[in-house]
Amino acid sequence: MGDAAYALAVDIGGTFTDIVLCDADGNTWVDKTLTTPTDLLEGFFRGVGLVLADANAKAEQVTGGVVHATTIVTNTLIERSGPPTALIVTAGFRDVLYIRDEHRYDMYDPQIEFPEPLIPSERTFEIKERVLGDGTITQTVDPDEVAAMVPEMRQKGVVSVAVCLLNAYRVPDNERAVGDALKAAAPDLHISLSSDVAPQMREYLRASTASVNAYTQPRTRPYLAALETRLAKEGYPHEPLIMLSHGGVVSAEMAGRFPVRMIESGPAAGAMVACHFAEKLGLDDLLSFDMGGTTAKACIIQERTPLVTGEFEVDRQYRFKPGSGFPVTVPSIDMIEIGAGGGSIAWVDTLGLLKVGPSSAGSEPGPACYGRGGDAVTVTDADLMLGLLDADNFLGGDMALDMAATKRALAGLAGKLGLDAHAAALGVFQVVGENMAAAARTHATDRGIDPRGLPVLAFGGAGPAHACHVAELLDSDKVIFPPLASVLSAFGTLVTPVRLDLVRSELGRLDMLDWDRVKELLEELETEAHAALLDAGIDHAQVRYGYGADMRYYGQANEATVSFESDPRALGGPENIRIAFEETYQRLYGVTLSDVPVEVVTWRLSAHGPEIERGGRVTLADVPGKPVSKRAIWFGPGSQPVDIFNRNHLSRGQVIDGPVIIEERETTIVVLPGWRAEVDDIGCVIAERMN
Amino acid sequence: MDGIQLEILWSNLLSIVSEQGRALQRNAFSPIVREAGDLAAAVFDARGRMLAQAVTGTPGHINSISNTAQLFVERYPPEKLEPGDIVIVNDPWEAAGHFFDITMFTPVYRGDRIIAFFGCTVHHTDIGGYGLGAGARDVHEEGLWIPMSKLYEAGEPNQLLHDIIRHNVRTPDAVFGDLAAQVSSGRVGTERLLSLCDRHDLDHIEELAEEIIDRSETATRNTIKDLAAGTYHGETVFDAPGGEVVTLKVAVTVDTELGEILLDFAGSSDASPRGINVVLNYTHAYATFAVRSCLNPELPNNFGSLAPIKISAPEGCIVNAKYPVSLNARHVVGMYVPFPIIKALYQVVPDKVLAEGAGAIWTVQIQGVDQDGMSFTSTMFNYSGGMGARREKDGPDATCYPTGVAAVPIETLEAVMPIEFTRKHLRPGSGGKGRCNGGDGQVVEFRMRTGSKWLLNMMPSRVDYPPEGLEGGEPGETGVFQVNGKDVSESKKMDMEPDDLVTMYTPGGGGYGPPDTQAAE
Repeated sequence: MGDAAYALAVDIGGTFTDIVLCDADGNTWVDKTLTTPTDLLEGFFRGVGLVLADANAKAEQVTGGVVHATTIVTNTLIERSGPPTALIVTAGFRDVLYIRDEHRYDMYDPQIEFPEPLIPSERTFEIKERVLGDGTITQTVDPDEVAAMVPEMRQKGVVSVAVCLLNAYRVPDNERAVGDALKAAAPDLHISLSSDVAPQMREYLRASTASVNAYTQPRTRPYLAALETRLAKEGYPHEPLIMLSHGGVVSAEMAGRFPVRMIESGPAAGAMVACHFAEKLGLDDLLSFDMGGTTAKACIIQERTPLVTGEFEVDRQYRFKPGSGFPVTVPSIDMIEIGAGGGSIAWVDTLGLLKVGPSSAGSEPGPACYGRGGDAVTVTDADLMLGLLDADNFLGGDMALDMAATKRALAGLAGKLGLDAHAAALGVFQVVGENMAAAARTHATDRGIDPRGLPVLAFGGAGPAHACHVAELLDSDKVIFPPLASVLSAFGTLVTPVRLDLVRSELGRLDMLDWDRVKELLEELETEAHAALLDAGIDHAQVRYGYGADMRYYGQANEATVSFESDPRALGGPENIRIAFEETYQRLYGVTLSDVPVEVVTWRLSAHGPEIERGGRVTLADVPGKPVSKRAIWFGPGSQPVDIFNRNHLSRGQVIDGPVIIEERETTIVVLPGWRAEVDDIGCVIAERMN
Repeated sequence: MDGIQLEILWSNLLSIVSEQGRALQRNAFSPIVREAGDLAAAVFDARGRMLAQAVTGTPGHINSISNTAQLFVERYPPEKLEPGDIVIVNDPWEAAGHFFDITMFTPVYRGDRIIAFFGCTVHHTDIGGYGLGAGARDVHEEGLWIPMSKLYEAGEPNQLLHDIIRHNVRTPDAVFGDLAAQVSSGRVGTERLLSLCDRHDLDHIEELAEEIIDRSETATRNTIKDLAAGTYHGETVFDAPGGEVVTLKVAVTVDTELGEILLDFAGSSDASPRGINVVLNYTHAYATFAVRSCLNPELPNNFGSLAPIKISAPEGCIVNAKYPVSLNARHVVGMYVPFPIIKALYQVVPDKVLAEGAGAIWTVQIQGVDQDGMSFTSTMFNYSGGMGARREKDGPDATCYPTGVAAVPIETLEAVMPIEFTRKHLRPGSGGKGRCNGGDGQVVEFRMRTGSKWLLNMMPSRVDYPPEGLEGGEPGETGVFQVNGKDVSESKKMDMEPDDLVTMYTPGGGGYGPPDTQAAE
């Protein structure tokens, strides 16, 4: 395959760096290597080298591009490893990061804690300037005042500056003037203007977002630049594309300007995989379900598109509670994450109730069965006790599990419940499933979606063992176990189109809308997004736009995000925008209020490149696989002998009735009694509930 | 029921009510509901005993609905209800302490049997009468009084009640919007509960209810039995808006035989001539909140976990106000109810309490005419002082306790009215010094840009009596409210000149422990 066009994907996660190489026919080569935290690119190029060698391919043949998801931004935040960063605010408002929104996120806990801001008060600078709420500039910026801040910044070692001035979401002139003056006085500084990073109303959210951006930029930008340089040097024909949190890829230059948009790039890639399989399998809606070592993540896919949210929170610090992290207002795949993974610890509370999570045994000491001194019962221990996992074939036999340790740990838990060890293990399995189903249900109804019956796409180390159970709790009849499960996020970046989402707040009641201003604003957004897409190698003719707005009834404080089916400028006026809003509102809340005016708070634009046609293929066996063994499994009070298959032995179209266990190296598929599994053309195992 | 089955059913109930609470908050019109989560949502068994409750924004509502439900089942036994009925009430003594709060109950039928009720309370935008503030002379001036009655009968609106409400409130669209949200939350809850019963083959939830209540009550009693028995005293003195000085006294008796805590408010101030009086039901809500948040915050609120905490207060005192005193701004005093209790509990569980803090949030409302001659009334917006120090941790700055209310962003306010904030920053050193320091208050300053006169409705408190420290910690700074640099103490709407500059210095929290010692690691 001398001239074959290859595409390459690299996903750097906290523990592993995953590589997928794919040729034009869909043949894939994968590798999983340990992440190298001190120099992430070392692991990147080592893994890539192995895969290329495996495929007998050269860098020059990777004409389909290099796509990259990375955890560098998240690591910088969690480790607090960013360099000294400064903040410039409107004079009189220096404590914006300390005062937050004044909300006490846990009413019942008098011992509550709040995170220390990324930028402390000694590096916060005040500038005399003012823009009013209606956009009037009452005081312009004096560049000399900005320049005068630089010596102090230098003395404090500042290399990056966030600027967040009041009402800059509306009129950015003063922020830009500060930025220009800084650049003139200190060209080497990284500068993040809040009006560029997150042009949305609400000063604390914008300041928090700009701070996260400024704090992470000095590490991210050089990293991406080094990546670009080295790829070019090694002969790759294209610049890399970088995965963002909202499920789109952009150029490294754009990603480097807005590292805050990269925070969830790995999980976003997982959601994009779900869209890809929805497409391949002809399904419109799906629930993607990714259960790993410490948490489970779920995302709803509607019409083959993941839900996207405008705001999320990073680095929750106080007992992982919502509210204890930093809010950021950038588009991101709308995911729920709950403390339910293979390492989640089971315990009995003071009321005698069996609880699972949110604390996790992590990988050190890990579940009791890892034999590293852990004595807590984890989900993995329960799975082992029930026979769902094979002590001698975990990670393909590379890691023996200690059944004796699991039994010892479970005996303690079972004693507290007054049950035997198997009943306790079954309880852990049930409770963790209920936790995940409840979280998915709440997440869906919060968004006006009925989760019942949604097919489930299961992946992650622990997902395939628990997916059928979760599906039953959600009244779902179908679970899909995709191939390439161990490197699925990396694969996801390969099927993600170029896409950039932009927002701008511009408060206006529909019945009094300044239509010319709206047109102008949308044009500005289009110009900006268009340039970014061209920068990522997309042809002008291929750029498509999607439009939306955050709207509310006049008098409400929270908005609903509405997607328009076409360009709102072509909708012929505000009446049709109102109709679109009321359709969404009706779906979310079951009512509409015909007498109340509607107002737009924020306009949204997404610019897309063409759909990606790539797909992965796995080699399937020619003849149906036979069970490799049989073992006793507890699906209820008693055990039953169940066939064990090796996934690599399965052939296209092979059908196996549950209960059955299908093992692969990194995960184990559990098909419950009453379910039937079938292997499809592209290597998915699809389990369906029999009547 | 074993610990697995019960966990599954109970956690499902909790998730149902939390969905209900969030949906209510998200689509509410009432600003205080959206911003402050001033609402309650709960599920009750057929006997009206609270089984699970959403964790929402303010303590005032969340426990008062538990008592309201008891009255509701007495007055509406099954033979007086049919499917599609919805009952509402805003009687202050029966529900949440002032007319603004409308509580609603929806029966859940499985077949022809009532297996549960959903209940919710929402602070409505308007209820007629005096409006927000403490200025009414008696309760009748404060608005529309809705006795417990059916808003819907067998699915059909009770037209008379609808008409009465529509004609007696200033913002009928918002009020009916919020009532619709309450109705829809009851419907969603009902669907969820029935599908839970389907999944687990339950005809009713009686056994589940018994387990929840029993285990919660036993656990709470056991926690109390581990404390040191005795009667402990606590007292808080503070000045309410308008300068009135209020004393709240409590005797906390820890009964380790029965595993009960009794709170007696004897010795507290008499009822006020202003509308800051608190009915016993609302006092109960804040008092049980204070005890439970220091004792066993991890245990969910329900009939069983609340039962061992009992309260009493002399009839007619400010925390057991009787008809016909005015009640509108009852939260001003209600927010101080936890402090004497916490000071008493300091003698029992010193590591779980906190020093006094700023107490009530400072609320602001503005009415005026904008540059185009359009009149406007702002929403209520509010600012926090500092929170009291804890034994091992400083008090958070600009953060309120016992409510957890968020402030409306400056940009949101500046976008909807012609206001200009000139500063909003911490007030350094205003937190009391201690081994751990109290949280700092903040300075907030604004003026209007209308060019015409305007009205200011302001509720400052603790401008004379500072939050005290604990265990030798210093008190926080008192608050200061100024117009054009001069101190003001008002509890009424004030007439303002076009260029008046308003400055608020909110109080700092009290310190914990002597200032010259080190916090224990």
